[in-house]
Amino acid sequence: MSWRNPQLRRDPAKVPVHPHLPVGRRRWWPRLRAHGGNTWRRMRYPLTRRHVLWTRGEYNPRNLAAEVRILDKRPLWWMAGLAFLAIAPLLTDDGTILSAASIFAIYAAINLVWMLVIGTAGITSLATLAIVGAGAYGGAYLSITYEWPWWSMLPVGGAIGLVFGVIVALPAIRLEGFYYALLTLGLAELCRVYVVQSRVFGSATGGMYGAATHIPDDLSDTGQLRFAYYAAFALMLCALALYRWVDGQRLGRLLRAAPEKNEAFAEAVGIDYRRARIQVFIISSVALGVIGGFYASHFKGASPSLFSMDSLLLMLAMIVIGGIGKAEGAVVGTLIVVAIDKVFIDLGALRLILIGAVMLVSVLTTRAGLFGIQAQFRAWREKKKSERRARRQEKGGEVVPEEATEIADKQAIYHRRFDKQMRDFLKTLVTDEVVEEHRLKPLGQHSEALSRLTNYFRRGPMADKYAVFTIVPMREYRVVALSGQRGVPPRLVNDRTYHSLGDAYHAVFLLRINDLLES
Amino acid sequence: MIADLPYVIVSALALWAIYGLLAIGISIVWSSLGMINMAHGFTFAVAGYGAWLAAQYVSDAGIVVLGAGILTGAVSGALIYAVAFLPLHDKPNFVVRSLIATLAISLLGTQALQWLFGPRVKSLPRVFGNTPLELGEIVITADKLGAVLSSTLLLGLVLLWMTRSRRGLEIRAMMQNPEGAALVGIGLRRTAMSVMAVTGALAGLASVLLSQTFFVSPGAGLQPLVKGLIVALCGGLGSIPGALLAAGLVGITEAATATWLGGQYVLMTQFAVIIGVLLIRPRGIGGLLDETRE
Repeated sequence: MSWRNPQLRRDPAKVPVHPHLPVGRRRWWPRLRAHGGNTWRRMRYPLTRRHVLWTRGEYNPRNLAAEVRILDKRPLWWMAGLAFLAIAPLLTDDGTILSAASIFAIYAAINLVWMLVIGTAGITSLATLAIVGAGAYGGAYLSITYEWPWWSMLPVGGAIGLVFGVIVALPAIRLEGFYYALLTLGLAELCRVYVVQSRVFGSATGGMYGAATHIPDDLSDTGQLRFAYYAAFALMLCALALYRWVDGQRLGRLLRAAPEKNEAFAEAVGIDYRRARIQVFIISSVALGVIGGFYASHFKGASPSLFSMDSLLLMLAMIVIGGIGKAEGAVVGTLIVVAIDKVFIDLGALRLILIGAVMLVSVLTTRAGLFGIQAQFRAWREKKKSERRARRQEKGGEVVPEEATEIADKQAIYHRRFDKQMRDFLKTLVTDEVVEEHRLKPLGQHSEALSRLTNYFRRGPMADKYAVFTIVPMREYRVVALSGQRGVPPRLVNDRTYHSLGDAYHAVFLLRINDLLES
Repeated sequence: MIADLPYVIVSALALWAIYGLLAIGISIVWSSLGMINMAHGFTFAVAGYGAWLAAQYVSDAGIVVLGAGILTGAVSGALIYAVAFLPLHDKPNFVVRSLIATLAISLLGTQALQWLFGPRVKSLPRVFGNTPLELGEIVITADKLGAVLSSTLLLGLVLLWMTRSRRGLEIRAMMQNPEGAALVGIGLRRTAMSVMAVTGALAGLASVLLSQTFFVSPGAGLQPLVKGLIVALCGGLGSIPGALLAAGLVGITEAATATWLGGQYVLMTQFAVIIGVLLIRPRGIGGLLDETRE
């Protein structure tokens, strides 16, 4: 066989044409320009060490330009979203949308506080609406009967929430999982039945109405709706601050380290999880009671529908669609469900079916709701990528593009590509005649194919290189593999002994041929 | 007060039968599938409508109505299996996701029933006739007697099937250890299908029985679901004797409270009893299985 340039063996017609897609990490993602000390400067909240934005100064490996990369863009999204919510009511004077917006803000506040229990602490408590309802009923009752002002409903609701918090926190440290969920579900049902049957709480009129309100009546209708919305929006901001304060600090970390079924581990590392759970229950219950008081003041009363299973399911749908354990999940999930519930109000019962369907689809297809999609998609893409990498039969030591972006020394990539093409070519030279030729004459003048092969073998790296080891000169030889490291002795490859040097040379040759064909 | 005692006993027995049917369904599903079936109440409501449709368009003979209720319940159980269990059972976070999926089915299904049949309640024909049984002083109404007899019969059949048949053996193996059952060649999906169908049938029977005193309505499943859940919980999820015991306890409490204190206190005394039981035994009366399921 005559020699051919291995580079020319590629048939240009058969070379696959890759579209110019960016491969690997997204180097082309826009970054902030930076220079000098600016690369490392970060803005902090005053008087704390906390950063406003989590950034990192880097040098772009392509052109070595100094850049600042924002590692967590969520604060930007939050600012944009909250800014939108702050100006949105000024853009419309549609009464339906404005009242739906206030309902959204109140429910978002409830969901944020609930998320502390169901997400951060990981305890499925279904008594949330019962606590809100109790706070609302207590505030409304005092306001109607004793003419208390609207602002007194908030502390009254908080006090009722505190009592409820103690009631629901005590079983939480003893019962687990479903037992607790069902118990709290029962508690909510108990409250509903009590309120529906109790004459004091308006069993005849279907709720208590006529409580004091914070909404001034000297405003126009639209003005009242806008005022109500901004009050509810402020409530939501307070709930967000509470979420951030509990979830992002010590208590949240303790709770996240001690989820269900992991209590033993948490206890072993010194976390008093019972205390942490009681704390979070009491904090969230007081907050829910205050929200209940606000609810009564907002709607000028309370109705038993707060305790009903349907409202509970709607709240759960909001949390599940957004994603459990994330503040943005609570807010966006609430937005979606309230939008379906209030925008498609003409559909009647069908819109509840629609919400149920959205909830079902999201729970069947996503692991952690809307805001878990990104992580889930990345995991899926990694899986597919590694599957594809494993399926690539022709790889043979060549660097795949995904790997290439991770290797800093580009010379190594080209060397491996060349080596692969070289081996592909040499494999075609291995024939029975060549092997026979080597057996007859291990040393000396060889044909071109054989000398190409032996030259390639000689060039190989020292690690695991085969060599002949003389035990008794002219009588006993063994084949060894060099370690490639100083001071580390070679290892024996097999237990065969060869009686002439030529046989040993040929055995080494066969081993190398074998390795070449297998690579 | 003492004069009411026979009445209390009779209603306690009837309630025991109905709660037992519901709670055992929930309990078996939890222990074999590892799923809390919150759509059990939906099955209950659907079965009521199935029985009502059969009474309207086929015949209002007792056996037809009962059979239609049981059959609809089984079909509804299979539907829940196909929607909530089948796509999720090998996915991460199955327990919470299946709970939410069944809750979503419950929401969706209840609203769909309301949309299809309207919010007006329907009443079923008297399945067991109108002639009461008189034992000296005690008068047992036909529906209570029928409830006790038919549910005892169906429960007995189910327990016999669970202990004697090959499929029952598979279900019990799955209750003990799902992975172990799969390793010895028991098809989890097939077994789960039969579990859901059988528990659906039990809920269907309970629905027809309870509709003798109450009405069929889209939201009718909620109260029985909550009751069945708390009874299953009180008895210990996964324990059939525990569920039966707890059903008795809750039935007696309800009957006694309704007779001597008044209907509005029923839930409160029931909860007091259940909280008492759970504080003494946090996993319910017979509940040990929770640990073995790990």
